[in-house]
Amino acid sequence: MFCRNQTGRATIARGSALEMEIRRGRFRRSFFLDMLTLQDTDIQKKIDYEIRIREGACKLLAACSQRDQALEASRSLLTCNARIMAYMSELQRMKEAQVMQRVARRSSDTGANDDRHPCKGKVAISDIRIPLMWKDTEYFKNKGELHRCAVFCLLQLGGEIFDTDMVMVDRTLTDICFENTIVFNEASPNFELRLELYSCCSEEDYSAGSTPRKLASKLSSSLGRSSGKKMRAAMDPGAGCPISSAGGGATLLLPVPSVAGPKYHLLAHATLRLPHVQDNFRTHDLTITGNEECSYWLPLYGSVCCRLAAQPHCMTEQMMSGALRVKLGGDPQGWTNVYGVLKGTNLFCYHRQEDVEASVEPVLTIAINKETRIRASERDPHSKAQSICISNRYGGEEVTHTLAADTREDTQRWMEAFWQQFYDMSQWKQCCDELMKIELPSPRKPAIVTPKQGSLYHEMVIDTSDDIGTVTDILTHRIEDFDLTSGHGTTPAWMSLFDESPRSPQCPSRLSAHSPGPSPSPGRFRGRRPRSPRSPRCRRTPGLLSSEISLTSDSDSPCSTSPCSHHHGWSETPSSSSSSRFRPRTLSLDAKLTSLRGRGYSSVQRSCQMATSVAAVPRPTQTVLSSSSSTSSNSSSEGGQDAAFSRPSIARRSLRNLRAKLDPRNWLQSQV
Amino acid sequence: MSYIPGQPVTAVVQRIEIQKIRDGDNLILGFSIGGGIDQDPSQNPFSEDKTDKGIYVTRVSEGGPAEVAGLRIGDKIMQVNGWDMTMVTHDQARKRLTKKNEDVVRLLVTRKSLEEAVRNSMMQPR
Repeated sequence: MFCRNQTGRATIARGSALEMEIRRGRFRRSFFLDMLTLQDTDIQKKIDYEIRIREGACKLLAACSQRDQALEASRSLLTCNARIMAYMSELQRMKEAQVMQRVARRSSDTGANDDRHPCKGKVAISDIRIPLMWKDTEYFKNKGELHRCAVFCLLQLGGEIFDTDMVMVDRTLTDICFENTIVFNEASPNFELRLELYSCCSEEDYSAGSTPRKLASKLSSSLGRSSGKKMRAAMDPGAGCPISSAGGGATLLLPVPSVAGPKYHLLAHATLRLPHVQDNFRTHDLTITGNEECSYWLPLYGSVCCRLAAQPHCMTEQMMSGALRVKLGGDPQGWTNVYGVLKGTNLFCYHRQEDVEASVEPVLTIAINKETRIRASERDPHSKAQSICISNRYGGEEVTHTLAADTREDTQRWMEAFWQQFYDMSQWKQCCDELMKIELPSPRKPAIVTPKQGSLYHEMVIDTSDDIGTVTDILTHRIEDFDLTSGHGTTPAWMSLFDESPRSPQCPSRLSAHSPGPSPSPGRFRGRRPRSPRSPRCRRTPGLLSSEISLTSDSDSPCSTSPCSHHHGWSETPSSSSSSRFRPRTLSLDAKLTSLRGRGYSSVQRSCQMATSVAAVPRPTQTVLSSSSSTSSNSSSEGGQDAAFSRPSIARRSLRNLRAKLDPRNWLQSQV
Repeated sequence: MSYIPGQPVTAVVQRIEIQKIRDGDNLILGFSIGGGIDQDPSQNPFSEDKTDKGIYVTRVSEGGPAEVAGLRIGDKIMQVNGWDMTMVTHDQARKRLTKKNEDVVRLLVTRKSLEEAVRNSMMQPR
C-alpha cells in the first residue's frame, strides 16, 4: 500500500514510471528507502512525469525520419534529463536535511531560529540574443554548403528548468535570437540563473549510425577539410549526458541510455545573479566551452544580451494590511481611521477596506523605501498603544506621518511587517526601487508564419512610386495602435492626409481606399497590420497598452550603457508621460508631411546614443518597413522607462551611432 | 527669432545657470536637445522657422537641474559657457554640454515668450 505518512519507510507507487525504471536497473532502489513526507511525493510525481516524457521522446527519436523532428525530440530529451537530475538532487538535499535535523534534535540545541528570510520573487528572462562573429573565410571558403547548427538555450534557476525554442543558425545570421520569455516563480534574492547554450550540427548527409566505420573513415579522409571534420565529429560519440548544476544527483543515477540520433553539446554557459537584474537590456559574458574543431561549433562573439527582470513578492503583493489610525491634516489631535495596505514601496491608506478592491484612490500614500525611517514611540501613558512615526525626505524637507494601531499586538505586527519589508528591500536591492514589468507570454500563437530568414532589405516592398501613400498607411497603423490607444486627444499631423482635403493632393486614389471618414479614430485600414511575431511584447510606456507596437519597439530603447540611463534620482515617469502627451512621431517622410504646420508634432524623440541592431542585423522577425529602417537607427535614451526590445551591444554602438548620425532623415535628440 | 542671412543674429535671451548633478561618474543636466546643422530642421517641433538649425530643448526632466534653473522645453540654446550653439552640429552641441570637467553650464537661451514680453513692455504707455 502506498502510505504517505510514515517516515522512514520507502514506498514507491506500484506501476509508476519510477518503479519501472528501478526495475530496469536505472535507479538504485536504496536511495528511495528513506522517503520523506508529502513534499517528497510531489517530487516523486514530478520525476514520474518527466520519466514518462523522456520515454516518449526516446520513442519519438527512434521513430522519426525528419531531421527537424529528431532535433526537437532530442531537445526535449535533454531537457527531461536535466529536470530529472535536478529533481533527484533536490531529493538528495532533502534527505540530507532530514538527517541533519535528526542530528540536531538529538543534540538538543535549540538555536533560536530567528533568522529573517527574504521574500521570494519572480524572475523573468526574455529576449535572449547571442551575437555571432563569422570570419570572412566562412563566406569564401565554403561556397556550396551552408553549415547549419540547431541551437537552444536551457535555463535553470533553483529547481525549475526551462528550455527555449530551437533556432537554426547558419552564416546568414549575425545573432542568435530567442523570442521566448521565461518566468521563474520562486526565486530567492541569491538566485543563480544558469543559462546554457546547446548546439547540434545539422547536416543531412551524415547519418553516422548507418555508415560502417571503415568506410566512414575512408570517406572522411578523402573528403574536403571541413566536411571531413564534420564526418569525424559525427562519428565521435560525444557527450551523452547533459550537464547538471548539482553534482549530487549524478551519483545516484545510472547513465542515461544513449539513443541514436542528433546529440546536443554544450557550447556556452553563463550564470546570472541579482546584480545582473535590471529593467533594461544588458550584456553579459558567456563562457564558451568547445573549440573550433567540434562539429557543433559556432563562432560566438562571447556575450549574451538579454533582459533580466525580477519582481519580488514584496513589490507585487500586499505584505500587511489592517486598520490604522493616522494623524491627518492640520488638526494635531485628530486621528482618522483608515485601512492601511503595505505593498511595494508604499503604504496606502484607504478610507475603508472595500476601497482596496474598488481601486478607489487612497486617502494617503506614504512612501516606504530605503530612505524611510520608522520608529515606534511611546505616547501618552494613558493611551492604549504605541504610535509609529514614519519619516521621509521629500526634496529638502522631512515629512513625518504618525500612525497608531488599535492594540499593542497590532502595533507590533505592523512594526514586524515594516522590518520585514526593509529586510526584503535590502536583499532584493535594485529590484525594489520600482516595479519591473514582466510580461507573460501570450498563449495565443501569432498566425503569421515567420518568413524565410534573409536580409532585412528583402522585405522592404515599398515602391518608390507610391512612397508617401504606403508609408503613411503603415504609419497610421503605428499611430492608431500607439498613440490613439493611449487616449491621445490630438490627432497627429499627417492624419489630415486621410481627410479628403485639398491639402493632400498626392496619391488620391490610394488615400481614398483607406480613409473611412473622420480621422480621429481610424478603423482598421484594410485590415492589414504589419505585425511581427514579436508584437505581443512591446514597449511599456505609462498609459499605453502593451500590445501591437512592433515598430515603436525598435525606436525607443533604453540605453543600458550610456550615462543617461542611470539617473533614477528624479523619477523619469512623469517626464516621459508628459512627453508622451505630445509625443511626436517620427515620420521619415519628406517635408510634405512635416510641412503641415501647426498641426501638432511630427517627430519622435530620438537620441543618438543608442541605436538598435535592426539596421545592422538582418532579422526576419522584425517588422520590416522603410520607416523602421530609418527609425531603427535611432532610439531614445530615456532611462529605463520606455523599455523596449532593441538590444544594444557595446561593440556595435559606435557603428550604429555613426549610421544614426549619417542618416539625414532623422532628427536626433540627445539627453544631456 | 528670425534672422537675415549675412546679418548678425539678434535675440532676446535669458541667462540660465545649471549646476550639473553627479550620478555615479556621470554629470547630468536633466534635459534633452535636438537639432543641429547636420539635422533636418523641418522635423523640429519647437522651432518657429522651419529652416532654423539651432539647438532646441526637447525635453526637461522634472525636478532635474535644468528645470530648477529655469530651462523650459522648446527653448533655443544660443550659447553654452560662451561657446556658440547656433551653428554647430548635433554632436558638437552635445559635447559642449557634457564636458566632464565642468560642473556648471551657463546657457543663453531664447524663447518666443521672452521676445513678446519685451515687446509688450516696450509697447506699454509710460
